[in-house]
This record gives sequence, C-alpha cells and structure tokens, in this order.
Amino acid sequence: MKYFTRVRRVYRWRGEPVSFNRKLKTYDYSSLVIGVDGLPRTTLIITGQHILIEGEDEDSPYVAKVLRLFGDESGKQKKAAVQWFVRVSEVPPNKLKLLGREPHPQEIFYYQGRSCDDEVDVESILRPVQVRRARSGIPSTVSAHPVVILDWFLFKQVTSSTPRTPRHATPSIPSRSLPARQPGNVLEEARIRLHVSSVPESLPCREQEFQDIYSFVESKIIDGTGGCMYISGVPGTGKTATVHEVMRCLQHAADVDEIPPFTFIEINGMKMTDPHQAYVQILQKLTGHKATADHAASLLEKRFSNPAPRKESTVLLVDELDLLWTRKQNVMYNLFDWPTRRHARLVVLTIANTMDLPERIMINRVASRLGLTRMSFQPYSFKQLQQIIMSRLNKVKAFEEDALQLVSRKVAALSGDARRCLDICRRATEICEHSAAERSATGLVGMSHVMEALNEMFSSSYITAVKCASVHEQLFLRAVIAEFRRLGLEEATFQQVFVQHQALCRVEGLQPIGVSEGLAVCQRLGACRLLLLEPSRLGVLQRVRLNVSQDDVLYALKAD
Amino acid sequence: MSKRKVQNDHMPSGECVTQLQTILRKRLCHQQLPEKLEGVEAQHKHLLELLKQTAIHGESNSVLIIGPRGAGKTTLLKCVLRHLLEEKEVQKNLLQVHLNGLLQTDDRIALKEITRQLNLENVVGDKVFGSFAENLAFLLEALKKGDRSSSRPVLFVLDEFDLFAHHKNQTLLYNLFDVSQSAQAPIAVVGVTCRLDVLELLEKRVKSRFSHRQIHLLSSLTFAQYLERVRAQLSLLDDFPETKFAQNWNAGIETLCEDKSVKEVLQRHYNSSKDFRSVHMLLMSCLSRVSVAKPAIKPVDLLEASRLCLADAKANMLHGLSILELCLIIAMKHLNDIYEGEPFNLQMVHNEFKKFLQRKSNSMYNFDQPVVMKAFEHLQQLELIRPVDGSSAKTQREYQLMRLMLDHSQIMEALQKYPQCPTDVQQWAMSAFG
Repeated sequence: MKYFTRVRRVYRWRGEPVSFNRKLKTYDYSSLVIGVDGLPRTTLIITGQHILIEGEDEDSPYVAKVLRLFGDESGKQKKAAVQWFVRVSEVPPNKLKLLGREPHPQEIFYYQGRSCDDEVDVESILRPVQVRRARSGIPSTVSAHPVVILDWFLFKQVTSSTPRTPRHATPSIPSRSLPARQPGNVLEEARIRLHVSSVPESLPCREQEFQDIYSFVESKIIDGTGGCMYISGVPGTGKTATVHEVMRCLQHAADVDEIPPFTFIEINGMKMTDPHQAYVQILQKLTGHKATADHAASLLEKRFSNPAPRKESTVLLVDELDLLWTRKQNVMYNLFDWPTRRHARLVVLTIANTMDLPERIMINRVASRLGLTRMSFQPYSFKQLQQIIMSRLNKVKAFEEDALQLVSRKVAALSGDARRCLDICRRATEICEHSAAERSATGLVGMSHVMEALNEMFSSSYITAVKCASVHEQLFLRAVIAEFRRLGLEEATFQQVFVQHQALCRVEGLQPIGVSEGLAVCQRLGACRLLLLEPSRLGVLQRVRLNVSQDDVLYALKAD
Repeated sequence: MSKRKVQNDHMPSGECVTQLQTILRKRLCHQQLPEKLEGVEAQHKHLLELLKQTAIHGESNSVLIIGPRGAGKTTLLKCVLRHLLEEKEVQKNLLQVHLNGLLQTDDRIALKEITRQLNLENVVGDKVFGSFAENLAFLLEALKKGDRSSSRPVLFVLDEFDLFAHHKNQTLLYNLFDVSQSAQAPIAVVGVTCRLDVLELLEKRVKSRFSHRQIHLLSSLTFAQYLERVRAQLSLLDDFPETKFAQNWNAGIETLCEDKSVKEVLQRHYNSSKDFRSVHMLLMSCLSRVSVAKPAIKPVDLLEASRLCLADAKANMLHGLSILELCLIIAMKHLNDIYEGEPFNLQMVHNEFKKFLQRKSNSMYNFDQPVVMKAFEHLQQLELIRPVDGSSAKTQREYQLMRLMLDHSQIMEALQKYPQCPTDVQQWAMSAFG
C-alpha cells in the first residue's frame, strides 16, 4: 500500500556563484534547482522568474518574482530576495472597491507594503508560475496552467514621484519580529494578571450595578423604545468596565435570539478634539460615512426623526460626558433629545465623574431630557478592593494575607480607586522579584515589599528635596521663613528675603553671596516648586511664597 | 644626547593639547554619555527593568522621572536606553517617540509629531495628512488595533512633562495613559520633569490612569564626592595615545585639586548649587586657557573663572553708565532709604540730584531737564528701573512712578570699581542722608 507522505524537496544551487558580496559575506547565484526525493524530475528557477511561495495553506500560495538568489559561504543558508504580489483574496475589500471594477479571480497586484520581509528562504519556494500582463480587458478563458494575470493598475500609482495624499491609509502599528515573551514564574504571572488592562469577564463587587444597568437597557431594547441613563462615580470605580460587561452579555443574548438585535457604539469626550466631533464619530460608527460636523448633525437628525421599517435599536455609550459641554449645550441637547423621538430607538448611557453634573452645568431643558435615571458608583471599600485583587489573582498564590490587607486598607482610606490598588500591588510584585536579597521565606510578596511600594507611590518628596538641597538653597528657605515671621505675612519680596539671607550667612560663617547668585538660588528653588515665584522679569522685586508648609521645611532642615 | 631627550620630554606637541581639548570638551559641552553613572544605581535599575518589561514582555507602563534642573534626568534616560538597546530583540522591535513640551506646545502639533515619528500610513515623506481630529482618531485606531504579543512596543518620552499638563483638557496625556492601561498596543510613557508637584497638575481622570510610579533624582552628594567628580571630569583615561602627556596632565590635576584656594572656590560653588551644569561652565573657562604654551590648569585659572562666573550682572552693567546716570541711581537709592521703598518719579529724583548739586558737588554740572529726562529713559531701557504696574499710559512721563531694580549692595559694589568716579559722588553715595 502506498501511503501519501509529504513530498520532500531538495534545493541546490546550479553552477558557480556569479558574485560575492564582501560586506555581507554572501554569494550570488543565477539559478536554483529544485528536486524531489526519489524522483528524477527537477525544476529550474532563475532570477527574474515568477514563483509560488508556500502560504498559510496549500491552496493559496503567495506569488512573487525572484530578484536575487544568494547564500552564505557554507551553502547551508539559501535565500532569495523577492518582489511580492498580492492575490485578489489577500486584498482587503475596501481597497478592492478602489479598483472600480470587478477583479478577475486570478488577478495579482504589485505589493509595496513595508511590513513584510523581502527575503525568503528558498525552501519555501514551491514552483515557478506564468504571469501574463493584461493591458485591456480580461480574457474570457483562462488556461489550465497555473497562470495569474498581472495588472499594472496599482503599479502605476505607486511609482509616481510626487507624494500623493494617502487616501487609503490604514491605521496600524507594525508587528514585532518575535512574539512577546510569556510569563516565566508565579510572580510574573501575578504581575500580568494585576495589570489594569486585564479586565476580567465579570467584575466582582459590581453585581448590583450590573443588574440595574442590564435590566434598564434590556427593557428598552425589547420594547423598542429609547431612553437615557446617567452614571456617575469617581475615577477607578468600574463604570466603563461594567457597561462594557453589560453590553457583552446583551450581545450574547442577541446572538442567541433571546432579545432583538441591536448595535452598540461608543464615544469618549476625551478622545475628541472638539465636542462637535461627537456627531462625526457617531455617524461614522453607525453608517461608515465620513462627514463634517454640521452635515453629520443634520444626517443624524434625519435618521433619528424619520421612521424606518427594519431599524434595530442603537445603544450609545458616551464616556466623559462633561467634555461635550459647549456654551449653547446643543451637542448634549441633541444627544438627550434624540432618544425621545418615537422612531429613534436610541438608548443613551452617559458616564461622568460628578453626581450633580446635570444640575451644575446643564441648562434646564437639557437636564430634563437627561431624566432621572441615575446611578452612582461608590468608591470601593477595603473589603471590596481585597476581593477584586483576590479574584484577579484567582488561585495564583503570590501575596501574603496581611500584605494584601495593608494595600486595600490604605487605598480605600484615600480614594477607593481600584486602579491605584492594582498598580501598587503590581509594583510590590516587581520589588519582590528584583530584590533577591530580601526575598521572604515563602517567596511571596510580603509586608516589606508592600510597604516599600506604598512609600514610593504615596510619597511626597518635598522633604527629601529640601534635605538634598545645597547649603545656600537651604539657607534661603530659612531666610524666607524668617522674613515671613518678621512680616507676619505669607509673602515677601526677594529683596527682603535677601537681607535675611545675608544675615544668616554671617551667622553661619559663610561667605555672603551677590544678588545675581541669590537670584539664581531662588530660581532653582522656584523651578522645582519648593517656592512659588512671580515672573523673573521683576528681578529683585519678585514676590516669594512657600509651596511647602513651614513645619515641613524646618523638620527637613533640622540637623540629624 | 641627554639634552635632546630632556627637550622631548618637556615639550608636548600641539597634537596632544588638541586631543586633550577635544576629549574634555566632549565631556563638558557636548553632553557625552558617561560610561557609568554614579550615585543613581537604584534609579537606573528601576527604569531599566520597567522599560524591559515593555520592550520584551509587552507590558504597558508609565513612569515619571523627577529631579531638579541639571540633576541628570535626561542623561539617566539616555544611559538606560543605551543599555536597553544593546539587546538585539529590543533594538529590532522598540519604536521610540520623543516629544518635548517646549517644542510641541499644543496637542495638535504633538499629535502630528507622534504620527510623523511613528511613520504611520497617513504620513508621506515628512508631511502628515489630515486634520487634528483625523490625526487623533487615526493614532488611537492604530494603537487600539495592536495587542500585547504581536505589536511592536512604543516608547513615548515626554520631556518637560509639566508643560503637556497645560494643554487643553490634557487630551494627549489622557489618551496616552488610557492606552497604557488598556489591552492595546504595548506602550511605555516616560515623563521627565523638574517640578516636584507635577502630580497636582494632572486632572483627576488623567491622574487615576497614571500608574504613580516616580523616580526621584535627588542627589545627596557630599563635598568630598563633589571634589572627586571634578577631578574625574578633568582627568584623562588610560586610552589617551600619549601616555607620558596623560600622566603629566593627571598629576597636574591631582595637585590642582589638593590646592587650598581651589578647594575654597569649589566649596563656594558647591554651597551654591550641587548640580554639575554650573561646574561644567567653570571648568570650560579654565579649559579654554589651556594651550601649547601652558598645557596645564593652574589654580589662578580657576580663581579667575570663578570670579567671572560669580560676578554680579547688574553691577557690571553699572560700569557702563555715564556719571549723570550714576548720580540719578544714587539719588534713587537715597529716596529709597528715606521713603522706605516707595516708588518715585523723575521729578523727585531730579530734585534729590539738585539738592546734592547745591550742597556738596564741585565737579557735577547742573544739567537741563531734557538731558536728565534722557538719562532717566536710558535707565528705563536698561531695566534698572521699572514702572509700577498700571497707570502707565495716563500720566505724563515725568510723573510716572518707578521702582529701582537694584539692591544697595550692587550699587556700592559698582561704585567701588567705577572707572574715574569723582570723589564727591562717591562720598554722596556713602553718606546716610542726601
């Protein structure tokens, strides 16, 4: 019985090398011979020929043209420099539309992309292929040979020397050459999980809020009506994450046909350069059209006012609502007015930081359209923060119990911000990893690491800065305090402080400094904001204030 | 035969001196990165580990480097980058974007610069296409499409970070920190600033997204360490071609640093400021006096350079004034003494001057009002006097209130060195009442 095994191809250079590149130490060859193990038939590849290169799967190899064949001295490494082509199947559909006509299935185009290597191993070359140029029209019959048609359409565009406006630019960051390293040990794994970006599927401690928002949006979608909801809370309390979770669940429900289908779009006030860009972004995400702000506003107005037969509900999330404020407040007015139209079927969820935003910055008609469906996210308590971290770590044992408690209590006392908590834990993990000397007995993150992380991230470095200041800088601070005491005010001119400074120099036995030097010392203290100064064009007349409390300065200057 | 040998030893060639000047100037003026930074090992390690996380493991991070001016923040960052780029994987993958708050004064300009440096697809040559809104949307889209394991990590360095916090809405900062906290393309945001209170400048949303990592560069250098570093800055390393010349030079520097007057000068500079930029200026002046005829730095060079550096700027300017202008300044000084710093106008100063002329002066001429007015205006142009804010347009020029921008010590110092100052003027200056 004959088993089908994968053919093994053998590659050999043919003939002597034609040139030697002294810099790269490579030999250039004119042709390559491909043979198959056990069969006498061989294929010849020469430079200038078009070839097929192994692709993702066997049915769709890549097409390329050989420009150079070269190899290293030992003959083990054989490479070819190629000019790539793209097949119709590889071109993204929005670019295919630019062709203006229906492409032939076996058509190929020149590829001038930057993100792939022009050099390949010859081991990936399958066989040569015929390429025919098509100037006008497409032949109705195509022969059975592996032939692809070369179209020079894109080629002409690319070789023009004047830079053209890139109308079809795709936003992308280039890809790495090697994938990122995976985590090695427990601490590294913990660190990845503690990164703020690894949002879990379901947020702990926000179940009630999740339920409320879910039921609100679900009811609106099922009824086919519109509505507004205002969500508030200090930063880091999980507002956007909870809304995303709600929408994921609703999308899943819509996929299994439990609820009618809907579209979800999201805009963020901070990610826009101008409040009116909101219209542009909403229009683009709804229909894919690009328009100016005014035109987009009128198109959206038309869309939400007129009844349409097969319209699905739209859920719009507006993050950082307070940045959409304009003087006439028309952007906010429209956003809250559209859901009130009968045929709009628009549900608007808005997120901001302050609970009384509608009362404070919105005029009456806008606030009334926003409605009374409000939800406030409270800052996390220490138990909740602890639970969040535990659920993130999820059986990865990396922290000691009391270390975790310390972090949660500290952060809960200050702000209740989950991001802060996660960042501190991550920093503590790093400190534990990199301090091989202080590794605790169990290899877990201990109290000492957590205390160090807390000191770093909650520190105010004014006292250290005063301690590390030079002699005259410290003396100047002392002179400032002395002058404030003398005047009974919190502010003095440089001239007055300088008199005190000279007196202190005499007391300490230092050589007194000139006015220019004194001004330089004062400026240095002002640059790091230990002092608050008036603009330096006022010279000796500039007024000086302290940015640190007097007690802190005196504590720092106390000789230890 | 021995005479010629002795001559060769004691006559260093111009070539050596030129070589010496090149090496030392690179160190002092051109901010050549030192081989190893001293005193900041912990900070170096912290920053290096952080950037390695981003470059190799694809983890997003943000950090601020804070320290007073001249503390070596940018040098630390450059050394860490140099160390980091030694690894081939990082060198091939890491994308860098360098922004400066003084150059990119607006988010619009900053965004164009980021797009240009990342060479995204809406850049052709050097020109970035699209409006501000389009650029922002494009960049955010590009970063959003990336992911941890397959996108190239991007390093954003923001010099003068505090200036970015003054942009409208802090849009750029919000977006950069937001990307660093989302599962998008891995980025590292490194801010460099000299303000200790930079976190207070950030809005609450931006502050929440920032990871609060700070690296402080506060030097606790003692005078002995300072002296040692000055010596190290001026010494030649072993790789200097002429070993004899290098040895002589280094020996000369050793004796220089042992000298008492040099130590006093350096102590004075150390007392004023511990950072190295100011001492580099001093050493540069000394270095400029080194020539083939005098291939060493003598203590007197350092003293002279120190005198130049620490000279009072305004006192120097006073040497260039005419006698009339000087007399007007002395009159203002007396007015300040009598009226305790209240602002004065030209008429008051002129009256004071006339009092001096009547009582004490033999050498000064009673100038006319327009001449005195001209002298007064010259002083205003030199910014030795300054109008009190407000009411500058309404009153006549003779009656406009002004303040003196000089301190009494500067005036007295200038008078002592003023060339050919008449004695009665000097005595008038030193007397208690006009």
